[in-house]
Amino acid sequence: MQTLGIDIGSLNIKAVVLDEEGPIGTSIMPLGDEVGDSVHAALEKATTEAGLSLDSLPVVATGVGAKTISFVPQQKSITTCLARGIQYLFPSARMAIDMGAESTTVIKLNERGRLTDWANHDKCASGTGLFLQQMAKLMGLPLDEMARLSLQARARADITNTCAVFAESEVISHVHRDPPTPKEDIIAGIYYSVVSRIMSMCKRVGITREVAVTGGAALNDGLVNILEQELGFEVLKPASPQIVAALGAAIVARENSEKGTKK
Amino acid sequence: MTTAESRSEIDILIRTYRLLARMNRAQNKGGSSHTLYFQLLADYYTRVRNAHEEGKLLAAHTVFFPTEVLYAMDIVPMHTEMTTWLSALFLREQAGLLAKGAELGLAPEICSPHRGVAGIFALNAIPRPDIILWSNLICDNTAKSGELMMELSDSPGFFLDNPFQNSSGEMDYLVGELEDMVHFLEERSGRKMDWDRLSEMVARTNDEIDLYREIGELRKAVPSPMSVMDDLELLSADYMFPGQPEAIQYLTHLRDELKGMVQEGKGAVTNERFRLMTLFIPPMYLMSYLEQLFEEYGAVSVVEPLFTLWSEGWLDPAHPLESVAKKSFLIPERRSMYGPLGEQALQDIIDCAEQYKVDGAIYWAFMGCRHTCATIKVIKETLSEVDVPMLTIDCDIVDPTINSEEEVREKLEQFFEMLEDR
Repeated sequence: MQTLGIDIGSLNIKAVVLDEEGPIGTSIMPLGDEVGDSVHAALEKATTEAGLSLDSLPVVATGVGAKTISFVPQQKSITTCLARGIQYLFPSARMAIDMGAESTTVIKLNERGRLTDWANHDKCASGTGLFLQQMAKLMGLPLDEMARLSLQARARADITNTCAVFAESEVISHVHRDPPTPKEDIIAGIYYSVVSRIMSMCKRVGITREVAVTGGAALNDGLVNILEQELGFEVLKPASPQIVAALGAAIVARENSEKGTKK
Repeated sequence: MTTAESRSEIDILIRTYRLLARMNRAQNKGGSSHTLYFQLLADYYTRVRNAHEEGKLLAAHTVFFPTEVLYAMDIVPMHTEMTTWLSALFLREQAGLLAKGAELGLAPEICSPHRGVAGIFALNAIPRPDIILWSNLICDNTAKSGELMMELSDSPGFFLDNPFQNSSGEMDYLVGELEDMVHFLEERSGRKMDWDRLSEMVARTNDEIDLYREIGELRKAVPSPMSVMDDLELLSADYMFPGQPEAIQYLTHLRDELKGMVQEGKGAVTNERFRLMTLFIPPMYLMSYLEQLFEEYGAVSVVEPLFTLWSEGWLDPAHPLESVAKKSFLIPERRSMYGPLGEQALQDIIDCAEQYKVDGAIYWAFMGCRHTCATIKVIKETLSEVDVPMLTIDCDIVDPTINSEEEVREKLEQFFEMLEDR
C-alpha cells in the first residue's frame, strides 16, 4: 500500500510517499504566498518521483498549516506524526527534539512509538530555526559557515535566551566590542542560548535515551554539536531530518487505511 | 458613599445577571441550576448596591475570607476577586480593569485578578466599601493587596493572619485572630456578633460540604454529568454564599439535576470519550469556548481535586468560631495554594484518578499563581504512577492576551490525540 504524508511548516512544505519498502518519493518546497499552490507543487514532485498519481493515495496532513488546506480531510498533530516517523527510522529512540522554523518541540515516546509526553516552545522566536537565520544575517555569514566556525570556538559568548530581539542587541554589542568577541565564540554563544532553551524542555519531560533530532535546524552541525555536549551523549540524526513529520503522517495514513477509519 | 459611576457599573452587572437568568429560564422551561445561579448573583450585587441606602456596612474582602462572620453580623460582603472574575467572564471588561491596574504600577507578572481588583477600585466600578478585609489565605498576592485597596478606597481595614499548618497551637492562634476581627467589626458596625446566627451558618456549612461531596460522588458516573461551566458555578457557591441558604438552594438544585442525569444515563457531553482531571482553574474568558471544544471531542472534567474536593471532617455548630477556623483547613484550594502540598493531597489525587476513571489531567498553569505551579512536577510524577498523563497549559485566568483560543485548541487536540493513541 502506498500512502502520502504532508507537513506544512511555516517556511517549507515537506511531502513523503511511503510504501512497504520505505519512502519512494519525497519533496521539500518553500512555502509561497499561495499555500494551496505550494502544497500542490510539493505533492506533485513527491508523487511524480514515486511514479504515482495523487488521486490514488490516502493522505494525512500535519504541521502548523495543515488546517489551511481543505483538500486533505485527514489531519494529525505534529507530535503524533513525529513520534511515528521517529519510531520508523529509529526504533530505539525514546525522545525526539524537533527544531523547526518557528517552534521547537520535544517529544517522548514509548517502545510502540506512541507519544507519552511533549513540551514545546512557541512563545518567542528565540530558540528556533528562524532565529538562527536571523543571527546568520546579522553575522553576515551563511548558515553552514556559521556551523563550521562554531566548532572552532574556544569559549561561548553570553547571549540570553529570553527574547530574540534582545539577543540580537547582545550579538551586535559583542561584534562591536573593543576588541570584538571572536566570531566563533559569538556563534557558539548563539547556539548555546538555543540549546539551553531546548535542554529546559528536555528536562521538563525527562531525558531518556536514545534521543533523535529532527527539523531543519538539525542540519546545523554546530548546533547539534553543542546539544550533544549538553546532553552528554550523541544523538540520532536522520539523513533527511526535515521530512520526519511528513513520513509520520504517511505512516498514520497507512494505519488509517488499514483500520478503514476516516479520522 | 456610592458614586454615580459605580452605581451605573453595578447596575449593568445586576441587569446582566437578571437577563441571563431570564434567558436561561426561557431556554430550560422553568429554570435550571444555571437560572438560580444567575438570579443569586443578581441578588448578591443588588445587596452590594443597596447596602449604604439600607444603612448596612459594606465590606470588601479577598478570596477565602470567612464571610460567615460578616453574614452573621448583617454586614454586606463584596468579594473583590470574584467581582473581577465575573466582570471578566460576563462583561468582557477585563482589558479596562487590567489597564487601570497597570496605570497603578502593577506589573503583568502580578496575579491578574489582583491587578483587576486594583483596577476596579481605581475606576470606582464598585461601590466604595466601608471596610477592607483581607488575609494571607490564599497567597502573597492576597496578603499584599489589602493596603492598596485601603488606599484606593480610603477605607480602614483588617488583616487576618492564617497559619500554614493545622496544629492545635496554630488553630488556637487563628481563633484568636478571628476574635480580634469580630471586635474590629463590632466597633466599625456598631452591631454585636450574633453567635446563634453564626452557629446556624456553621450547621448549614456542614450541609453545604455534604452537598459538595454528594455532587462529587455523582460525577463518578460514566458518562459524567457536569459541564465546565457548572464547575465555575460550583466554586462560586462557597466563595460568595458560605453557610447561606442560597448555597444550599443552589447546590441542592444542582445535585438533583445531576442525579436525574445519572439515572437517565446522560452525560455533560453527547459522546463521552475522555474523562479529565482538572488541576487549577481554566481561563475564565475561555469557558464557553472550552464547553464547545469539550463537546466536539467528547471531553469532560470529572474531578478537580485541588478545587472541588473537600478534605475529610465536619464542623461543630456548638463552637462556631472554632468551626470557622477549622473550615479554612478543609477548603480544597488550600492543598495546592497555601502551605505545603502534603502527602495526603498527593494520595487524594491518586485516589481521584482511580475512582473517577480519569484518562488524562490538565494543569492550567496560571502565570500569576507561580507558587502553585511549583507543584506541577510532583503532581505530574504522581499521576504517572497510575498511568495518567498530564498536559500543562501556561495561561492566565483573566487576562486574554496570554492565550488565544487557537493555541488552547491546538494543545488540547494534541492531548486528546495522544490519549486516543495510547
